[in-house]
Amino acid sequence: MSTLHVLSHSPFGDSRLTSCLRLLGSADGLLLTGDAAYALQPDTAPQAALLAHAGLTLFVLAEDAEARALAIPHWAKAIDYPAFVELSLHHDKVNTWL
Amino acid sequence: MAKSLLLISRQAPWSGPGAREALDIVLAGGAFDLPIGLLFLDDGVLQLAAKQNAKALQQKDLSANLQALPMFGVEDLFVCADSAAERGLDPSALALSDVQSLDAAGIRALIDRYDHVMTL
Repeated sequence: MSTLHVLSHSPFGDSRLTSCLRLLGSADGLLLTGDAAYALQPDTAPQAALLAHAGLTLFVLAEDAEARALAIPHWAKAIDYPAFVELSLHHDKVNTWL
Repeated sequence: MAKSLLLISRQAPWSGPGAREALDIVLAGGAFDLPIGLLFLDDGVLQLAAKQNAKALQQKDLSANLQALPMFGVEDLFVCADSAAERGLDPSALALSDVQSLDAAGIRALIDRYDHVMTL
C-alpha cells in the first residue's frame, strides 16, 4: 500500500514535515506544495531532514517553487497540476496534512 | 462494505476549533457505523491530558466528546508514543482509556490498513 503525503505549510516553526518524515513508508511519496516548498531552501534544517531521509520519493509543485525563488534539486521531481492528479491516482491514498 | 477512514488529529485542544472538529468527524462517522479510526499525533496528544479544566477558559470541555467515542462505536483509538513522550505525557495516565500507543513503525502499518487518511 502506498500513500502520497501532501504538505502545504512552511516547515519553519511547524512540525508537519518532521512528523510526516517519521511516518513515511518506503513505498510512499511526499509532495511539497505552497509554503511547504520552502523545505527546499538550501542550508536549512528542513532541507537537511529531507536529504537525510534515505529512499525519499519527493515531488514539488513547480510553480510553487518558482514563485518562491527555490531551485529544484536533482533529488526532487518538479511536477505541474496534471501530474499532481496523475500522482494521486498512482497511490492507493492521499494524506493531505491540513 | 464502507471504506475505512483514519483521522489523524494533531492540534492542541485550546488552539482553535481544529481538535473539536476532528472529533466531530469521528463521532459522526461512528454514529453511521462507518469503520473509522482516530490517531492523536503531535500536539493532538495534548487533548488526552488528564484533569484539564475548560471552565478556566470559559469553554466547553472536549473530554465529554472523548468519552463518547466508545459509545459511538469508535474503538480504534491510537496515540503516537513519540508525540506523547516529547510532551511529557504518560501514555498510561491519559484522559481516554483503551487508547493504543504506537511507535512510528506501528503508525506506518496503521495508515496502510485504512482506505482513506485525513490529517487535521
